[in-house]
Amino acid sequence: MSQQRLSFDDVHVGDQAPEKVHKLTRTDLVRYAGASGDFNPMHHDEVLATAAGQPSVFGHGMFSMGFLGSAITDYVGAGNLTHYKVRFSRQTWPNEVLTTKITVAGKRSEDGHDLVDLDVRLVNAQGEEKVIGEATAAVPSAS
Amino acid sequence: MSADHSEELAALVGRRSGAPQVAPDAVNLAMIRHWVEAMGDENPVYLSEEAATDAGFGGIVAPPTMLQAWIMRGLKASLEAESRRAEPETTAGSDNDRMMALLDDEGRTSVVATNCDQHYVRPLRLGERLVTTSTIEDITAEKKTGLGEGRFVTTRIDFVSLPDLGEHASVSEEVVAAGEPVATMRFRILKYRPGTAKGAEVRDGDGGPARPRRPRPALTQDNAFFFEGTRAGKLLIQRCVSCHTLRHPPLPACAVCGSLDWDTVQASGRGELYSFVVVHYPKVPSFDYPLPIGLVALEEGTRLVADLAIDPAELRIGMPVEAELVSFDDELTLPVFHGLPAERDEGG
Repeated sequence: MSQQRLSFDDVHVGDQAPEKVHKLTRTDLVRYAGASGDFNPMHHDEVLATAAGQPSVFGHGMFSMGFLGSAITDYVGAGNLTHYKVRFSRQTWPNEVLTTKITVAGKRSEDGHDLVDLDVRLVNAQGEEKVIGEATAAVPSAS
Repeated sequence: MSADHSEELAALVGRRSGAPQVAPDAVNLAMIRHWVEAMGDENPVYLSEEAATDAGFGGIVAPPTMLQAWIMRGLKASLEAESRRAEPETTAGSDNDRMMALLDDEGRTSVVATNCDQHYVRPLRLGERLVTTSTIEDITAEKKTGLGEGRFVTTRIDFVSLPDLGEHASVSEEVVAAGEPVATMRFRILKYRPGTAKGAEVRDGDGGPARPRRPRPALTQDNAFFFEGTRAGKLLIQRCVSCHTLRHPPLPACAVCGSLDWDTVQASGRGELYSFVVVHYPKVPSFDYPLPIGLVALEEGTRLVADLAIDPAELRIGMPVEAELVSFDDELTLPVFHGLPAERDEGG
């Protein structure tokens, strides 16, 4: 069952979520352009991208955010994510292998909610950070 | 020097980017399916009524990070907005259009997304219709960044759910205020001046950073001969085999007789300056500025756009010019035109 039942009492600072790994392809970029409605040609038109001085087409920032986000919701549960923010630090390129890195950074209780803070990153095979961010989930306590 | 619109930009902070935007479609299974497939997200609560109910949602929910997709206006509307912004005398545009035009006028013509920050009040359910209001939240002073000198612009987008919206394509602020807040997204972009990156000054000689290469031409079966020709030291011009009309830039067919058959002739490289512009910005790192660019009427009888190695103060329409083929790197050789004395010495 993939609906994660992360419980506040069982989670510890330093815990790591399962990694999601994906090799980015040009087909991913085309599929994401259609699914998201973002048709900036730098993400699907190789001729235009190279004419603009880019080595090739490159990934949408929001694809990186969404891919990392899916690993976060797999870990904390889809309905529990309350806050997710990222900085787009590097472009992603076709054939790069992207890996999600999610670590529990803190636990706190606020306004009657038990909150888990996560340090979240998307890195390539060389360890270069593509996206760096934070996420917060309101998770149930074990009863 | 570019314009400084600090005051006009400061006056836009806190203002709405534009009118409220109504999501083109209600939250729906088809769009969710495309999105989770693109993401490789296999969480069943996004596609299976049963799994979503078992998980306590009472029905299928949308992935939280899909938020932005519900209000994307689509390619057609984006292209229309782009051409509206390109109009020199835009009066009808939104405050967002005005802000972007002011930043462009400051020479900050390049854009990159730097941050995205999303707050979710609750999961979105199938059938919900979303409406957003966008506010220009912050425009910074000029910052030096790894990409170039620019301003960071933060836009806050508030999402509300309106159950009884029906077919309305637009709504008033009052109607939006009655909606249920479901999410907030802040999106930060950097609008920067290309070619002004930290440490990107173009220097020659040892120790300096390597000069970026010129943009590559998009090569096709019709134009490849031109760039192969310049590399081989020849300025080649396309000629129609049927009616012998010259044409440039290269095209598949003759505009005069329609023939698809063509060959090339080698131009002498001499001609006269038909027209010119001097580019000051946006600055692209592989070029020197001010950058004079000419439309040259070749003596063979067609015209060609090329760089001019002539002091902008000396440029005159009709002046005689001659091409030199300059290699910019291993792949790229292009004609660059020099001025010639008005009356050439034709004698021995």
